[in-house]
Amino acid sequence: MKYDDETLMAYADGELDAKLRAEISTAIVNDPTLARRVEHQRALRSRIAGAFAKVMDEPLPERLLDAARGKQMPAERGKVLQFPARASRPPAAPWRVREWAAMAASLILGVLLSWRMFGPSHSEVMVASGDALVARGTLANALDTQLASERRGDEPVLIGLTFKARDGNFCRSFIMSVTRTAGLACRVGGDWQVAATDTVSASGQMQQASSALPPAILSAVESRIDGVALDADAERAAQHSGWSPAP
Amino acid sequence: MTNTPEEVGERLVELLPRLRRFARSLSRNQHDADDLVQSAVERAWRHLGQFKPGASLASWTFGIMKNAWLDNLRARKRRGEVALPEDSGEHPAVSPVDTHTSLWSVSEAMNKLPEDQRLAVAMVLVEGMSYKEAAEVLEIPVGTLTSRLARGRAALAAALTGDDGGNPA
Repeated sequence: MKYDDETLMAYADGELDAKLRAEISTAIVNDPTLARRVEHQRALRSRIAGAFAKVMDEPLPERLLDAARGKQMPAERGKVLQFPARASRPPAAPWRVREWAAMAASLILGVLLSWRMFGPSHSEVMVASGDALVARGTLANALDTQLASERRGDEPVLIGLTFKARDGNFCRSFIMSVTRTAGLACRVGGDWQVAATDTVSASGQMQQASSALPPAILSAVESRIDGVALDADAERAAQHSGWSPAP
Repeated sequence: MTNTPEEVGERLVELLPRLRRFARSLSRNQHDADDLVQSAVERAWRHLGQFKPGASLASWTFGIMKNAWLDNLRARKRRGEVALPEDSGEHPAVSPVDTHTSLWSVSEAMNKLPEDQRLAVAMVLVEGMSYKEAAEVLEIPVGTLTSRLARGRAALAAALTGDDGGNPA
């Protein structure tokens, strides 16, 4: 074999110098085997390139446009749950369910303490609708309007993570401090259907922050989540859209 | 730097489609790919001071993305990360509607390549970079790039032979 695959690959890619290129171009004319080997290289190249070509025409997600314009600085992403900003954070990786859960949980203890003193009267927050449980009142209001990134810390309902489920609907985990109930609600039609609820551990155990979102809620999250939890900007965008299902 | 932040921003916006395409060829699914693009452009902004005027912003940003991708892979390995839903392969980098044209299998075959070969293939075959430019972005000699590319191609040809998308090898 006069020309090895690496040489023919470079020929197919237009990477050879003029002399060798001319030599192979001439050889191909009289050598069908050689011509076929070059053709295989070209076909593979166009198949690989073609597989990803369509990405160029896809609409650009808002979060990437913002990031490209420098609107979303990494330091902002660490403040999603209003923890004190640190002077230098490592690059923000997308948060995993358990990280969100731990962050949300670590806020609960303080909230529970203040809640005892300032909490409003407990009204109906879930009603049966058909065979589903639907959020109402304070809970529905919090699910509709509350952003984890703008949390004050004294809300009766704490929103934890917000994410897109595999069916395209948005889901949000919540904790109602007064009843020590944690749950997961997903947007269906115009309602928040409560997909799972569980009791939050007693305050003694809550110092173990990661244990505060009960396993039942965590597994309800993990069985539905498509990708990772939304960051602050995506959460806000989803709220602006009225929680309409992502395309 | 003579560029204003607005100019840099607009040039990065222009690069986004290519950055997304490149990321898609490296990642297992669309969400991971866009996360990679986002962390790359955020890094670009943070390290803008290191960008040499006159150099190619595209090459520089692709290099940043390459590093971000490798960092992610290493971090995942360090954590011994359990497969999360987005790693399950249910949301592949190309749309499932493309499976009949076997684009899905291209993505699957890419994912089986060793990291260095996947980068070489992604830069030259997907992004259409010259060997010289790809070697500069990867910070390796052109000869090394060429041999990684040849090995990656051979593996792809073998993996894709016999399915319904053609017979490249």
